[in-house]
Amino acid sequence: MTAPPSPASEPALLEVRDLRVHFPITRGAVFRRTVGQVHAVDGLSLKLATAETVGLVGESGSGKTTLGRAIVGLLPPTSGTILFRGLPLSAKRAAPDRAGRTQLQMVFQDPTASLDPRWRVGASIAEPLRVNHVGTRAERRARVSELLEVVGLSPGHARRYPHELSGGQRQRVGLARALALNPAVIVADEAVSALDVSIRAQVINLLQQLQNERKLSYLFIAHDLAVVRHLSDRVAVMYLGQIVEQAAAADLYSDARHPYTVSLLSAVPVPDPTVEAGRQRIVLPGDPPNPASPPPGCRFHTRCWLRKKLGNPERCAAEEPAHQHVSAGHTAACHYAHQVPENVRLSTVVPTAEPASGPTAEPAS
Amino acid sequence: MSVDGRAPTATGDPVLRVRDLIVRFDSGRNVVRAVNGVSFDLEAGGALGLVGESGSGKSVTSLAILRLLPRPTAKIVAGEIWLGDRDLIQLSDREMRRLRGKEMSLVPQDPLSGLNPVLTIGEQVVETLRAHEDMRRREARDRATELLSTVGIPRPRDQLDRYPHQFSGGMRQRVLIAIALALRPTLLIADEPTTALDVTVQAQVLELLHELTAQRGTAILLISHDLGIMARMTRRIMVMYAGYVVESAPTAEIFARPGHPYTAGLLRSIPRVGDAGRPLTPIAGSPPEPDWVPRGCPFAPRCAWALDVCWHEMPPLEPMEAVTFSRDPRPGRHLLACHNPVAADEVEGGKPLRPGFHAAPPPEDGLVPQGTT
Repeated sequence: MTAPPSPASEPALLEVRDLRVHFPITRGAVFRRTVGQVHAVDGLSLKLATAETVGLVGESGSGKTTLGRAIVGLLPPTSGTILFRGLPLSAKRAAPDRAGRTQLQMVFQDPTASLDPRWRVGASIAEPLRVNHVGTRAERRARVSELLEVVGLSPGHARRYPHELSGGQRQRVGLARALALNPAVIVADEAVSALDVSIRAQVINLLQQLQNERKLSYLFIAHDLAVVRHLSDRVAVMYLGQIVEQAAAADLYSDARHPYTVSLLSAVPVPDPTVEAGRQRIVLPGDPPNPASPPPGCRFHTRCWLRKKLGNPERCAAEEPAHQHVSAGHTAACHYAHQVPENVRLSTVVPTAEPASGPTAEPAS
Repeated sequence: MSVDGRAPTATGDPVLRVRDLIVRFDSGRNVVRAVNGVSFDLEAGGALGLVGESGSGKSVTSLAILRLLPRPTAKIVAGEIWLGDRDLIQLSDREMRRLRGKEMSLVPQDPLSGLNPVLTIGEQVVETLRAHEDMRRREARDRATELLSTVGIPRPRDQLDRYPHQFSGGMRQRVLIAIALALRPTLLIADEPTTALDVTVQAQVLELLHELTAQRGTAILLISHDLGIMARMTRRIMVMYAGYVVESAPTAEIFARPGHPYTAGLLRSIPRVGDAGRPLTPIAGSPPEPDWVPRGCPFAPRCAWALDVCWHEMPPLEPMEAVTFSRDPRPGRHLLACHNPVAADEVEGGKPLRPGFHAAPPPEDGLVPQGTT
């Protein structure tokens, strides 16, 4: 229903069509009954091309993690389809498309929690190979050494336990494990958020290097807008289970049209005191609404500054906005997307030093 | 409303003076030198930021000031902490209890663990007020209602009877700010006050913290690893590494003209507008193990500017020679602990540009193991 067009003309590597993931809210122990649904992902469509990075931003509860988990098959979708190379992926775990599933891998936020503390690092990295009956024991061991070198560790690390590694090293191990089956797509869910600044930069560079070498596609889920901008070709902004705006990274950060995106960008502190002093901020009132009972009409209307400015038009509360075309590959789901005042866009949004570039980032040199 | 620097309430006399603070953790098995001789001043109404990665000693410094270090493992080995005219290290626990909350207070990182889950919000605010001031219950409740309304909590009187779990993260953090500012302290310590919050809620909380502290002339010591928050909220920044202050300067100057290779490296490690897609310049290696005792500068193993002397001798924190940039009319001093500072033209590239220069390799005996000093 809200399918924003993709700028890429070639068929998408991964396509999500009108995906819904609802969680039942139950009451009672013996006679469990469903009293409601949390609409974690609610009618969402998204495309990802080969060697492309799509950044997914949004606040907690916006459904970005749920979307990532549904894509890699960790959560069954309520409805909708996920197409990989044009073929639908089944929600069943032991389905015959399991081979297709191995092409979609995930890197988690907390490497301490996602590695078994009682397993040597080598065993964790080899697990996906073992589970999928790839190679002999010796071949798997060789592959683990190779993978460790790919992520910038030494083969000797295979014999260590997770607690013997630093946070950055553990995240490299998580990445090596995700790469074990040569995936085409990696869903990185807050993969660098827990790392210290100097280590985070190392892992970000590694992600870019791997993408250039292996034509990997990333769905990069993060709340850090600066990191998302740095890594992404396109960025999708989520609010309460839906994508509210989608554009090439440079366009989104210089010409945001959805009032939510504008306020999100204005809220992020910029590490430059001169810029900070001159910026205007739109501080949103209140917290994001409960995803179990999203507001009718536009889901953002309860906190929307633009609606207030326009004299609270009824339409926002009554009618769900469709994605409006802003420019090539740039859509915003707002009835009044074209009425975001230019001075607000310019003063709240981070000033860009570079001219707006196309959807493909220049390769790292 | 913009948060551009601090209101002119900042005066010359320091509210807080820390001198040569040394804190160690002794677990019996090993000793961690968490804070190694930290000194700084914070003037009334000032805003000082403490930047550093995990294990740099920034939180330990703040806990030492509040005298809330875990006992018996952590110990203030030496130093002075002056709040006004009292040296906190000399005070008894009883005297400290009277001070905490009233003259200095803390906004913790995690709003859930900062509140008691089995007491109502009202009980917790009232408790703080009545612990320090002679107030009737009714009077304290009225004051609590007023406080909650100051921090922007809607329908404050009804909220008093609710429990922390019924509040969202942002609302809990507001309650903690209300409690922290209830008695108009002269010093507020905020340790990663918005790390657990979403961006839009973070903006609300930062705005609130700024407004309230500026209005009341409360000095704020802000601890964060987020350089964006530092740029927005502080007037001066102190950079810590492995328990040492390696650089300290007015906020604008730290960003425009960092002198320490670590500071310059941090600034080059964060993605910046304008170079999307280009690789970042990270700092090599990882932060040291907590129980590692360097003989020289603790940053030497990761430093591209390292000289031979760096491996043997920790440089003192001294005024940097050429102060080249400042937007602040009263610039304050730029202090630096480095044998081989980053030159102005090296800041952008994040590496030394002198022809033929290579970082000095570690000497054979450079890494002194724990327990030899």
